Order: sequence, then C-alpha cells, then structure tokens
Amino acid sequence: MKRWLKEDLWRHAIALVVCFFVLFPIYLVILSALSPTGSLQVTSFIPKTISFHNFSQLFTSPKIPYLVWMKNSLVIAGVVAILSVVIGAASAFAFSRLRFKGKKQGLQLLLLVQMFPAILSLSAVYVIMSRVYSFAPRIGLGTQPGLLLVYMGGAMGVNIWLLKGFVDSIPMELDEAAKVDGASAVQTYWLIFVPLAAPVLAVVSLLSFIGTFNEFILARLFLVDMHARTIAVGLQGFISGQYASNWGPFAAGSIIASIPLIAIFLSLQRYIISGLTAGSVKG
Amino acid sequence: MIRNRFGKVAAAVVVTGLISGIVTAPVHAASNTIIVWADETRGPNLQKVIAAKGDWVPGYTIKIVPFSSFDALKAAFDNATALTGPDIVVGANDWVATGAKQGKLAPVTLSSAVRANFTSNNFFDLSYKGVLYGVPLDVNNVAMIYNSKLTGKPATLGQMVSFYLKNKAADKLTAGLCVAGGGMSWGAASVLGALGGAPYVMSANGSVSVSADPVPADTVAANIKALFLDKNGKSNGFFPATDTGCKTAFLAGTVPYAIIGNWEWQDYVKAGFDMNLMPVPGVKHGTNGSAFASVSGAMLTTFAAAHGVDQGAKSLLNNFFGSTAGAVAYQNIELRPPANKKAQKDGSITAAQKGFGKAGSIAGIPQIGAILNGAPGGKSYWDLLPAFWTDVLVNGKDPVASAAKMDTFFQANIAAGVPQL
Amino acid sequence: METLFKRKVTVTLKYIVVTFVASLLLMLIMSSFAKREYAISIFLGFALFAMAITYLTNFSIPMKFFLPGMFFLIAFVVGPILYTVAMSAFHYETGNYISKPEAITQILSTGVRPDADQTTFDIVIGEDAGKKLEILASDPLNKKYFISSLTSKIDLDASTLKIDENGDVATAPGFHALTPSEQSALDAQLGQARFVYSSDYFITIEGGTLGSLKRQTLTYDKTSDTFKNVLTGAIYKDNGTGDFANVANKAEILQPGWRAPIWFANYTKLFTDPQIRKPLIRVFIWTVVFASLTVLTQFALGLLIALVMNRKLFGRRIYRSIIILPYAMPSIMSILIWGGMFDTEFGAINHLFGTHVHWFQSPLYARLAVIIVNLWLGFPYFYLICSGALQAIPAELSEAAAIDGASSGQIFRKITLPLLLQVVSPLLVASFAFNFNNFNIIYLLTGGGPSNTLGGDVAGSTDILISYTYKIAFGAGTQNLGLASAISVVIFFIIASISLYGIRRSKVLDSFA
Repeated sequence: MKRWLKEDLWRHAIALVVCFFVLFPIYLVILSALSPTGSLQVTSFIPKTISFHNFSQLFTSPKIPYLVWMKNSLVIAGVVAILSVVIGAASAFAFSRLRFKGKKQGLQLLLLVQMFPAILSLSAVYVIMSRVYSFAPRIGLGTQPGLLLVYMGGAMGVNIWLLKGFVDSIPMELDEAAKVDGASAVQTYWLIFVPLAAPVLAVVSLLSFIGTFNEFILARLFLVDMHARTIAVGLQGFISGQYASNWGPFAAGSIIASIPLIAIFLSLQRYIISGLTAGSVKG
Repeated sequence: MIRNRFGKVAAAVVVTGLISGIVTAPVHAASNTIIVWADETRGPNLQKVIAAKGDWVPGYTIKIVPFSSFDALKAAFDNATALTGPDIVVGANDWVATGAKQGKLAPVTLSSAVRANFTSNNFFDLSYKGVLYGVPLDVNNVAMIYNSKLTGKPATLGQMVSFYLKNKAADKLTAGLCVAGGGMSWGAASVLGALGGAPYVMSANGSVSVSADPVPADTVAANIKALFLDKNGKSNGFFPATDTGCKTAFLAGTVPYAIIGNWEWQDYVKAGFDMNLMPVPGVKHGTNGSAFASVSGAMLTTFAAAHGVDQGAKSLLNNFFGSTAGAVAYQNIELRPPANKKAQKDGSITAAQKGFGKAGSIAGIPQIGAILNGAPGGKSYWDLLPAFWTDVLVNGKDPVASAAKMDTFFQANIAAGVPQL
Repeated sequence: METLFKRKVTVTLKYIVVTFVASLLLMLIMSSFAKREYAISIFLGFALFAMAITYLTNFSIPMKFFLPGMFFLIAFVVGPILYTVAMSAFHYETGNYISKPEAITQILSTGVRPDADQTTFDIVIGEDAGKKLEILASDPLNKKYFISSLTSKIDLDASTLKIDENGDVATAPGFHALTPSEQSALDAQLGQARFVYSSDYFITIEGGTLGSLKRQTLTYDKTSDTFKNVLTGAIYKDNGTGDFANVANKAEILQPGWRAPIWFANYTKLFTDPQIRKPLIRVFIWTVVFASLTVLTQFALGLLIALVMNRKLFGRRIYRSIIILPYAMPSIMSILIWGGMFDTEFGAINHLFGTHVHWFQSPLYARLAVIIVNLWLGFPYFYLICSGALQAIPAELSEAAAIDGASSGQIFRKITLPLLLQVVSPLLVASFAFNFNNFNIIYLLTGGGPSNTLGGDVAGSTDILISYTYKIAFGAGTQNLGLASAISVVIFFIIASISLYGIRRSKVLDSFA
C-alpha cells in the first residue's frame, strides 16, 4: 500500500491524464450519438435527454442499409487483408532470404514507390479501371472486385516492407537446417517459414484490415450503388451533403463500426505489441 | 520434360479459358438506357419518381444512379470519361462553366413550351458563353428565420442587434444572427448585402454593372462598427464568423435569428418552429440583404452521344425535367422550391417551399460562377468573404482596410468575369 | 511413400492454380484486345508470359516469390505514378482536358447556334418510300407544314393535311413515321442528321418530337487546321499550347481546348511564377514542421507512457486497453469529432477550459489544433512500439549500470534511449514520410484553412503539400492537373532524398548488402 502511494502515484497520475485525453473525444461521440439533435457541439457535458433514435434509424430506415455496408466493409477489408499478406509475405521472404542480383535496388525502389504522393493516382486509377470496365465490367470501375484489386496494389508495398522486417527477425538457423536436408526455397517457404511467421502475418493482416476499413476517397468513387457501399463511404455520406450534415446517425454509425475493430484489437493486444516490434528488434 | 509441362498446361488453359469465358462473359447494359447521375437526396427521390412513372421517353429506359454524397458525385463527374460517365448529370449551376470548358457538357435546345416554364435568370445560371447546357431543376436559396417565441419580426438589422444586446444575458443567447445553412460565403451573402456590400451589383436591365462599386468600403465598415463590433473594435458576439453549431443553437433557442437553407426546413418544422421566413433586413427600413438564388440543373453530357442515347437524353430533359408534370411529381418528394414557374403555383407544393420562393423573389440575385470563382490567378468570392469575416470579427483588423481589400478583389473578378458571360 | 504422395498433391495443386489464373488472364487479354484496349492487353500478355516462364520452369527462383506482388504493384502503383509523371508534361487543366479530335468535335457542336428567335418545330421522325430519313415538321403558330430530308425540303399545303388540336400534323402522304423503338435504335444517326431548311439554316432533332432551327457559326478546315467564324470572319489557329486562338487577338480562344504537350513548362512555372512559387515555399516549410512536430510529439508521448507503465502497475491492462483505442477507431470519425470540439462558440474545448479561442480562424491555433489531433491519433502506435522495444532491452544492462552507481536519469540517457532509438529510428523515418503525405487529417480537420485570402494568400495556413496539390488538381474553380502533377513529382524527389538519407544513416539497408 505504501509503495503504491510513494512510487506509483505519479505513474497513475500521468496514465490517468492520458486516459482522459484519449477518452474525452470518445465520450463526446457517444454523447452526440445519444442526443436527439445529434450535433457535435456541446452545451453541457451531462446529457439532458437520451434518445436512441440515431441508432434505431441505422437499422430501420430504408435509406440506410447499415448492415449491408458493414458486411461489405468486413468482406472487402477481410479479403484484402488476407490476400495482400499472402502475396506480400512471399516477396518479403525472397527479399529476406534469397540471394539475387539487384536486391538492394529492388528494396529501395519499393520504399521510394511508397513515398510518391499518391493523391493524383486517383485520376490514373480511375482511368485504368474505367478502361477495364469496358471489357470486363465485373472487375472494373464501380464494382467491389475492382476496388479490391486496387486496394491490393496499394497494400502491397507497405506489407512487403513491414513483413520483410519481421522475416529478418526469424532466426536463419532454421532454414539453414532445412537447406541441409535438401529442401528447395519454395519448400522452405511453405514448410518452415509460413508456420513460424503465422502470428506476424496475422498482425500485418490486421493492420491492412484497418487501413482498408477506413479508406473512403477511392471507395466513394468506386462504390456508387447504395448496396455496394462500404461503411466508410456510407458514414462520409452522412456529413458531406451539398449543404447539410447529419451528425447524429454519423456518430451512432461510427460507434457501431468501431466495435469490431476494437474487439479484434483488444483480443490481439499481446500479439500486436510483439508483432509490431519484432520487425525492428533483432534476435 | 519442360515441353511436356507446357503442353499440358496450355491445353488446360485453353479449355478452362473457354469455360470461364462463357461464365464471365461481359454483361452489356442495354444501349437504349439513359443514365442519370444525382446526389444522395435528389438521386433516391428521382428514383422514386421514375419508379412510379417510367415512360417519360418512349423507346428508352431511365436509370438513376444516386451517389453517396454531393462531394462524391462531384469527384466522380470530375473524373468521368465516356466509358463510365452519365448521359445526364444533376448538379449545381457552377458546374456549367467547368463542364463546358472540359468538354463534358453538351449544348441543349428546349422547346418553346419548356422555355416558357422558367425565368431568364434560371437559364442564365445554366449557360456559359451564351450556350445553354441544362434544364433548371430546383432553386437553392437561404432565408432568415426568427424564433417567434423569443422575438417578433424585425424591420432592420439594427433592431435585431439591439434585441440581442438587451436580452443576451437574460435569455442566455450565444449569438444574435448566425448562418445555419449555406456556409460563411454562400449563405452569409445576405449579411454582406444587409451591410451594403455585394459580390457584384446588378443593374436594372438584369446585367452585371461594371462601373458600380461592389463593396463601398466606408459604408460597409461604418455599419460593421456600429452593429457588429463593441467600442473596443472587438466582435460584440451578434454575428459569429463561423457556421458551426448554429443550427443546434437555434433549435435549442439560444439564437433568435438564423439563416437557413431551403433543403433543411423540415428539421425546423419537426422541432416545432413556425416558418417565419424573410430576407435579412437591411440597415435602413424597407431594404433587404440580397441572397443567391441559384438553380440546380439537369445537364446533358457529351457522353450521351458516345453512348448512342443523345436523342433520348434530350427528350428526357424536355419531357420530364423541363415539364410541369415532371417538376411537380419530383418536388412533391424532394420538397425544395421548384424552378418551374407553373409548378411553383401548383396546389401540392407546400407553404414552406413557396415561402423560400418568395424570399428569393424579393431579394434574390443570380449566382454567376464566372465572376464568383475569380479571375485566373486571383481570389474567389468563396474564399474572400469568410476571410473578411475572420479578419474583422476575429482578428480585430480595421474594417475599412479589410473591406477595401475585398472590394479590390471583387472588382478584379468582375472585370475578368463579365467578358466571359 | 507418404512424402511422394504429398509432393504429387502439391504439384497438382500448383498446376490447377497456375492453369486457372492463366486462363483468366487469357480471357481478359482476348476481351481487352477485342475492345481495343491494347495497352492493357500487352500488360496482361507480359504477365501471362512471365507467369508461364516462372512457374513452369526453374528460370528464376526469386521470381516465383515476387511475381504476384509485382503484378499488383505495377498495375496499381507504378502505373499510376508513371501516368502522373506523364501528365506533368501536358497543358492539362480545366479548359484543356480532352484530346484534340474531341475538342474539335466539341467546338463544332457548340458552334451550332439556334437562330435569334430560337425557332422550334414540332416534328415527327420518319422515312420516305425509299427508307430515307426525313421529318414531318409543324409550325403551329404560323400554320406552316413541310417535310424535310437530308437533301431537300418540300412545303405542304395545310388544307390537304389533318391538323390536330395543337395545330400539329402527324401524317402526310408518302411519309412513314418511325416507332419509338425504331427511333432509339437510330439514336446516333438522328443526333448527327441535319435537315434542309434554307441556305444558312438547317434543322436538328433535339429529342423525339422537337426540331430546332440552327446554323453552323464555326467551320473547321482540316488542311490548314483552322476554325473560321462565318459570322465575323475571324480565323482561329492552333496556338501550340492546346487552344485555337484568334489570329487577330491571341487572347481570344475557342473553348474547349485540348491537353497539349508543353514538356517542362509546368516545372519552370513552379520556379519562375511568384504566384505559384511563394505559396509553395511557405507550404513546404509548414509541411516539414508539421511532419517533424507530429513525429516528435507522438514519439515523446508514446515513450513517456511506455516508460511510466514499464513495470507491474495496478490496472495496467485497463490503461493499455484505453490508450490503444484511438488506434482502433475509424480515423475519419475521430478527426471529424475533433473538428467539432475545436469550434469557437459551441465547441467542447472552449467549453471545458472556459476560453474563447478562435481555433480554426487563427493560423497559429489552427496549426496547434492539427498537431494535437494528430498526436491523439498517433501516439498509441508509438506507445506500442516503445513498450515492446523496452521489454526487449536486456535488464542486465541497466542493472549493471545501477551497480556502477549511475542514476536512473543517466541510465535512461546513456543506455535505454540510444538502444531504443536504434530500434525505432526506421519507424520514425517511416512515420515522417507518412505524415509528410498525411492528406486525411488536413482535408477532414481544417480543409487547409484558415487562409489569409484578403492578404493575398492562395494556400491555407495548415495546407501541407499534398492537400495543396489536391486543391490545385481537384479544387473549385480551375483544376490544373498538369501543374499538380509537376508538384507531385517535385515533392517525391524531396521526400525520397530525405528518406534515403535517413535510412542510410540508420543503416537499415546495410543488412541487404
């Protein structure tokens, strides 16, 4: 009890201040979601009237297919997370383990490509996908598979870069042993590396999942149809009308949308911490 | 060995290629479908109207594509190509100049019957260099609403200010007049107007005056000092320089006067307010601050010809968007003031829709993008007015100097814009 | 035996996957070729070829790992980058957006003007006995009726016709009306058709039943590549930068123009035009400040929390779960909620502290607000990184130092911090690069504002390079994609050199050598 007071009090003080900083905006989102007028501005920090209208609207209004949006987001983000990590891990493995000409240049190129201010790619991607639409309408502009392909491209660089760091941290001795046993590079990858790296792959998938889940600038151009939209597009739609914004449903919708993310995050906390640093802490 | 592998795989590729080719063969949209793009409110409402009666153009089917937001619609139209673009786009009047310059909008000719349904101002809004690109759909304007539980109908801006200063403490007022709809440049235009300024002065014959001074700096500054500032030159709190939170505050009863948009009046009715609508009164009795009354339009694109539905799209503009029957059917759901003159008088149009129409006819000025968007390399009205409010009401800058600067920019915009009309 | 069987299964599986993907590619190549998208067919053809070589032979082992990733990277990242670089060499802005042939078509179609009275006719579209297109036109006001084809016009005698209550006629001898579906099938042809009226004027169909009297005021001469205004006689010539300009008055151009190659003009403009250069320099400085301050504050707070909680602490799990929240919430929502909190009159921050700060109207406060919000969004990431890294630092090191009599401050400065920095510096560089291009926070929080427009500013006080570029490319008013592309390319060179320098110093790439 004494030690707690003497040595840990300041630690608790700092932690509490930071927690307040973190929780304050979140409390306000909840407040505006529960307020009948649904505005982001406060007149008082204690709600006078509580209404669940904003929440019920999400599930009852025919104008807001909230659950469909949620499903779309989970499917798109899920597929991108899994596929991009599967494909990215192979490249990362090669960068980390194989010897070949131009490896250093390749890695630098990969890094540089990430740094290009991609905002104007918007036009280029739009042009490419509208051309794809003209001969393959199911994977072109305006379709979920089309958006998925574009996201895959975008996720590739980051994932290869992150994964390469993780692969470096897996001890070399294991694949050396496999090599002695006569295994080819491909076998080493599938039989030794993939099982070893599974937790790390899961963490990188989660990061891509979140990135994809939050993306709205491309998605709002691609997913026009009401029932094809993702949650981020739907939410952004509430607040970027020509003149008016609907903060109430936006706040309520955001809260529900964050629940799956927070749940995954909290349950994988331990993995994430070790996963994030595994790449940078050698050995 | 290698050749063997290649052979097997090649054979398999051809077989599965044929099979998957059949399965995923491209689906082509019927060539006689007219595609209309619209935003998140107009889109679904147009869908309903078309679903109820779809035979506006014999021989064609109509497909409305609603976007998730006005922003998204604009972004998509900015990027659209003939491969993916719409045949008709429902957008704001300031898209006309850009769309025409980009070669995305195509000229339209309307029948004399349809032309008679609209004012020349409406057509002016949707024209660029004398060529018309669309049909007016609904009027966008703002009007001032006053909270009759707090105060009565004001006759001058001065009355409003003295009411605010007197009752500020007792009624816990957070502001006197604020902009709830339309933002600090478009929505707040009528406040500048009430103070004696304007982005451009319309002369009696309906054209823009090149000689008149848009913002007489001394007059506007004197009015601001007398009405919006305290004796230290700081804002007296009557008119906030931002529109955030205004709507909530008005609905909560802590702001007596607000400028609201005609697309959101139902929210005020729902909250129990009467539609006490009027233009913002001027400094002198009997004057009003003029507000923009622009139209949204259904505009023909050049993509329609590429898609082989050019004639169908033109018919749709004449038969549906331009007709009184079409306008009434649509505005009964959309609930904005129709641009169509005959539809405005129709019995099914609500009083509030008509109220906005009336405020617009008392104190409406056309919204001329060629002037407002600014001379190339210059400043636009949309950036200048908010900056002016910030300078004067927040940063405590000298109103005379700020008004004079704004005036100079406005004059440059007029000089550059008028030859483009 | 068992392994042999396993091998057979995996090899078969590989062939199935390769076959499936190859046939998909083949199908796409065929359909893209059929639709004349040759660039795409060539790219896909290369992909198919590379796939066959890589997976059916042992030509290159690394390629077996790289190929799928490379495919996506080239198609959706490298391709668009090259496109941006190409755009920067064009006069590509509002008014110069389409190709030259498209522009000529457009000018010709806007050059078709109605007569002064905007005369229209009620028409019926039909054919003559020889299946030639013609229209039956009624002018109910003047009681005039005629049949017009592409080559001739025949006036009809009103007394011989059946006139309905609107004053229109629907039938005439020898005239066969087309049904609506026949008309829609002919749509493209009807739009182009010009029916004879007089020597200057002709009639165009403006949808189903409406004919309009028009004349061609601008004509194009292919051999000299010039436009002529037949009313004024003015000649318009290609001015080399994507517009037809009046020979007598160079400032008068026909719209629309087209995107013409101007090579390095966009780049020279960046350095020579003070209207562009001055704001760009200011924005660049703020971008560097913003990215550095963001990384510093995020790292400092993350490290502080990590240090504070780097021991058994009552409730540590709960603290950690809370601190992780900003990282797990949709950032679009967090940023917008913060935007509302900073409002002057009605915002929670002024309410909480009893202040009346104009957060988004004052450049200084707006910048502060951006940093605060970005701190909230990003420090949990650094907290996670730092706490992981701190756990990885061997405890013996600091224990040994403590025995040697070092104070806890000395241990931190001399042992913990250097070790930590070695671990996190590549991540700091990565975070700097990310924030340098952090579009969302600026776009959603301040929109780049406030801007002292009255003082002559073009860019806002919180605009960073990427949001400024976005405004130039997609903003209201003139959209200049060519200039924006040039700026993107310049930004890229700057940030690439900063990052490469940082990475060389931190020796991240050494292990690949």
